[in-house]
Amino acid sequence: MKHFEFSDSMLDTGALHASVEHHAAGGYASFEGWVRDHNDGRSVRRLEYEAYVDLAIKEGERIVAEAITRFGIHNARCVHRVGALELGELAVWVGVSSAHRAEAFAACRYIIDEVKHRVPIWKKEHYTNGDSGWVNCERCAQAPEHTHSHDHASVHHHPPHEPHVHPDGLQAPDYSRQITLASVGLEGQRKIRAARVLVLGAGGLGSPVLSLLAGAGIGTLGIVDDDTLDASNLHRQTIYSLADCGRPKALLAAERIRSLNPEVDVRPYVERASEKNLTALSEAYDILVDCSDNFSTRFAVNDAAVKLQKMAVVASVYQYEGQIQVIRPNGACLRCLWPKATLDGTVGNCAEAGVLGPVPSILGSLQALEVLKLILNLPSPATHSLILIDLLSLEVRRVEARRAAECAGRTCQRIPQPLLTSDTEPLELLARPLQLYVDEGYTLIDLRDDKERAAEPLHVDHQCILAMSLISKPQQLDSNSRYLLLCSRGQRSLAATKAVRAAGISAAWSMQGGLSCVTPA
Amino acid sequence: MIIVEIQYYALLREQAGISSERMETTAKTALELYEEVRQRYGFSLSSDQLQVAIDNDFSQWDVALQNGQRIVFIPPVAGG
Repeated sequence: MKHFEFSDSMLDTGALHASVEHHAAGGYASFEGWVRDHNDGRSVRRLEYEAYVDLAIKEGERIVAEAITRFGIHNARCVHRVGALELGELAVWVGVSSAHRAEAFAACRYIIDEVKHRVPIWKKEHYTNGDSGWVNCERCAQAPEHTHSHDHASVHHHPPHEPHVHPDGLQAPDYSRQITLASVGLEGQRKIRAARVLVLGAGGLGSPVLSLLAGAGIGTLGIVDDDTLDASNLHRQTIYSLADCGRPKALLAAERIRSLNPEVDVRPYVERASEKNLTALSEAYDILVDCSDNFSTRFAVNDAAVKLQKMAVVASVYQYEGQIQVIRPNGACLRCLWPKATLDGTVGNCAEAGVLGPVPSILGSLQALEVLKLILNLPSPATHSLILIDLLSLEVRRVEARRAAECAGRTCQRIPQPLLTSDTEPLELLARPLQLYVDEGYTLIDLRDDKERAAEPLHVDHQCILAMSLISKPQQLDSNSRYLLLCSRGQRSLAATKAVRAAGISAAWSMQGGLSCVTPA
Repeated sequence: MIIVEIQYYALLREQAGISSERMETTAKTALELYEEVRQRYGFSLSSDQLQVAIDNDFSQWDVALQNGQRIVFIPPVAGG
């Protein structure tokens, strides 16, 4: 069955409906577009549709296929009329069958919206006064300066980059309500305009951060998020629309910001923030705002801020509680509070533990406030602190965050050394007292068998994995840690190191000569 | 010199007075070709309000044209 077709005669909705029926489907949604008797204040008598059929069918098939994969629906179909149509006639029909109603509605909406934007079909309206006109063509011919798109390829794909010109000629929000504050004024507004803020995560925390900062007039806003919008996000991520489910959040958020405030230079990055890209991404920004939902990103943001001497505003939520911390150059960082980076999966995120929408909204609003306070140099608590908020009891606690003693007067000592090692990185490290390696952050792995362990027990923190077990399954190591592999003479540990490196875990070394070099004979 | 087939739809078809033509041209790109026919027929739409398709696929304006291609200039659409 074709998913997208044209018809030059009246559509049979009964037959169309039957063609998407599916026994596994629990729901069906349909959209019908009819010929209406007026448009833009003019009285319409009849319509003509014209299509570039070869390309239109290709593009239409693509749209329906996109809807089927994005929304996981069973079947979908769209038929569009061409030729002359009278008032009240059915011009376009979309039908979707799916397991549940939510994706049926969303997919149906998606198909008709994309068809309208992307498929080369033109509508000519004949008016009661005898006049006629091509819809859209005439309008842009009259006002070309308002419909320019600089990116030709995107003309038919949601033209979001066009200037959002208000009918009254407004180009930007009116900032007078914040400029009135004595501590802001015109000078403060200039500082806000000059600021460059990178927001990591466009979810529950990111939604209020992005909209409030864009509204305030931040000059440059970067958005990093690799996720697509899901219907389960909407209760707390209210900058989005149901119809946008399935599309990348970074791009959706960028569209939202452009329509809220065209003055903002908004830069979406559809990628996952990690220690691999954060340094490069952060370079062009002054303040990082961590709105991510996982520990590895949160610590990576912290580490990038510390290394690049940037400020960061980090927040997280757990059910009815939240935490927020501002990280300043040479102040306390996340690793002062948590020397061992928390591993993902140990504490539930919103998807696992559940959350009420206002909780991340409140924490995200606080993050936006802290960012503005940093930019405007507004008073803040003198000491660096972690703020804990319990939104059930409405209690706020401030815990003083002290810079770790070992980092006093120098750069953070707790950030793991770059984990990516090159091919030339030696496989072996010199035999030294094991406690030194433990202090330097290595995880020690004892590869010896039970008998050897019993004969020469280790007296420092370590894990035990048999050499053969590690060689056959090197993935059991965590790529975010640094490992020193140990055996009696350094042979098995060298073999295991090679296997571990080959599995893509680059931060593993063998201790040269093995334990025989460091333990008393 | 190459020969291409050009197809016009909607407003462009009406302004050109024809729906298609075979044309000999020195235009190197779709953009140059559009400027040529725009001069000839006085099209009211500028190229940045249009999309272009070459051999039934959306294309960039600066792609080099080849002999025998089918070029379609696509005005803003209004399906649905």
